Amino acid sequence: MLVYTAKRLLTLIPTLLAASILVFLFIHLIPGDPAAILLGDSATPEEIAALSAEMGFDQPLPVQYALWLGNVLQGDFGTSVFFGEPVLTVIGRGAETSILLATMTMVWIVVFGIPIGVLSASYQGRWVDQVTSGGAMLFASVPTFWLGLYLILIFSVWLGWFPSSGFPSLADEGGVTNLRYLLLPSLTLAAPNAALIVRLVRASMLDVAREDHVRTARAKGLHPATVAVRHIFRNALIAVAAAFGFTFAALVSEAVVTETVFSLPGIGRLVVQSILRRDYPVIQGVILVIVVLYTLINLAVDLAYARLDPRVSLK
Amino acid sequence: MKLAAYIRSTFGGRKLATIGLIWLCLVALAAIFAPLLAPFDPYEIDPVARLSEPGLPYLFGTDHFGRDTFSRAIYGARMTVVIGAGSVIVALLTGGLIGMLSAYFPRLGAVLMRGIDVLMAFPALLLALVLITLLERSVVNTVLVIGIVYATTTARILFGMTLKLKGEVFVDAAICSGAGHGSILFRHILPNLISPLLVQASFIFAFAQLQAAALDFLGLGLPAEVASWGNMLSEERIYVTRAPWLLIYPGVLIILSVFSMNLVGDAMRDAIDPRFKDDIAGV
Repeated sequence: MLVYTAKRLLTLIPTLLAASILVFLFIHLIPGDPAAILLGDSATPEEIAALSAEMGFDQPLPVQYALWLGNVLQGDFGTSVFFGEPVLTVIGRGAETSILLATMTMVWIVVFGIPIGVLSASYQGRWVDQVTSGGAMLFASVPTFWLGLYLILIFSVWLGWFPSSGFPSLADEGGVTNLRYLLLPSLTLAAPNAALIVRLVRASMLDVAREDHVRTARAKGLHPATVAVRHIFRNALIAVAAAFGFTFAALVSEAVVTETVFSLPGIGRLVVQSILRRDYPVIQGVILVIVVLYTLINLAVDLAYARLDPRVSLK
Repeated sequence: MKLAAYIRSTFGGRKLATIGLIWLCLVALAAIFAPLLAPFDPYEIDPVARLSEPGLPYLFGTDHFGRDTFSRAIYGARMTVVIGAGSVIVALLTGGLIGMLSAYFPRLGAVLMRGIDVLMAFPALLLALVLITLLERSVVNTVLVIGIVYATTTARILFGMTLKLKGEVFVDAAICSGAGHGSILFRHILPNLISPLLVQASFIFAFAQLQAAALDFLGLGLPAEVASWGNMLSEERIYVTRAPWLLIYPGVLIILSVFSMNLVGDAMRDAIDPRFKDDIAGV
């Protein structure tokens, strides 16, 4: 297992390097002098010339890439044009909100997605199944921001139950109760993803239910509930765990939209604002961080998959 | 007649999917005949009638410029079809070709599929955002960006399916009878991929709508003046407390269309050759 993990980590390096080249080239694909782009509109010609020399923009591209990668590996992602602070500091500020939002969303996905999926599979073809599968597909078809806007309208504006926007840190006044700011956003973000998990749990439970060991379990007279939980559900969960990487990617994408709807100070909204502000160093930094995170999560999912399902051999 | 038989076998006994198909046909008709169906010019500004409630003569009310929401919704169907069909074409042409060629020519595939792996290291909307930052806001660019994002998954799926077909006896037979690479790929393998490609197309069409609407909402999609359902939501969202109906119509239209496309895709997937069932995406 350890050897396999090490091997897999090594194979990640070429992918990550290639991805980093793409992220690096991003600055150079934007028309204009990269130093002027990195410094923003307010920079003087002297500043531009100084940064050009510092970053080696007069050097050939491969040399520049090596310099840039060296900086990145030391945690230096450059300086934000808008904030005038190191990119990593700017990203770090959004981390609390985004991590808490993602965690709450995952809780909803598990709490709603899995039981409803099990229910749907257990009543295959009956009305319970038709309502839950149809409902799941409907929720997967709803634009996240539209759902978010109406949740704000109903629960914040009309009923006044929840705050409509923003998120003060847990360290601020209010402490843990500040999580109420994230309730509507996390539900919004969870809806389409929980819907996908419902469909996935249902499909993989129906798959497993056709297998021989399930028939044997039934034939030896086990209670249907025992068969469903111990023989079908446990095996079906493997496929659900394997989809976690996919769910993470979907969460990242939709968090960009959700954080914008609810004006949350997270990393997703930072990306959008940085694009609108032409704050390219921040865009570059956030994308690099997310790509590395996503790649590592996919690796973790693969490893967990091999652990959960002994039939998957580690080669 | 083959088409009629295909539709009957796929949609027979599936009421919801049939309704979805009918709805999509209506959207397509609205897109084609928009100038005939729309009672008003979707771009005409009438400051006196701004934010009027649904009724007569404005069936769906008017937006904050006083433009007729009903007419804009009908013209929005055009963008839905353009974005959906355009993304499907870009994704299937580039992704499909990369996947098929990669599976057929393993050496080329080793390079191309690594490239696809790298692109897939970027979550979908993020990849779209990176690409859109480099381009101007326009209809063509939005289609290109969404198409490229889904080209990656399409390439992976077609790679697997072509690999399976390559091992089939009929391919060996074609090689023995002296068929060239082009003929084997496009006359022997491709026809077997048509129905999974259709399923893939239907899911891409559905996802593309959601992605395009999200980009519109973020102000990074279609140019603001284009009448699309996503732009209608994006532009009118600050008026939601005063005129909640403004967001209901375009929202429901998007949901209905995506839902219908998903239902149609599901029906088509269930009717598909069982060999490919595991390969098709879109849970």
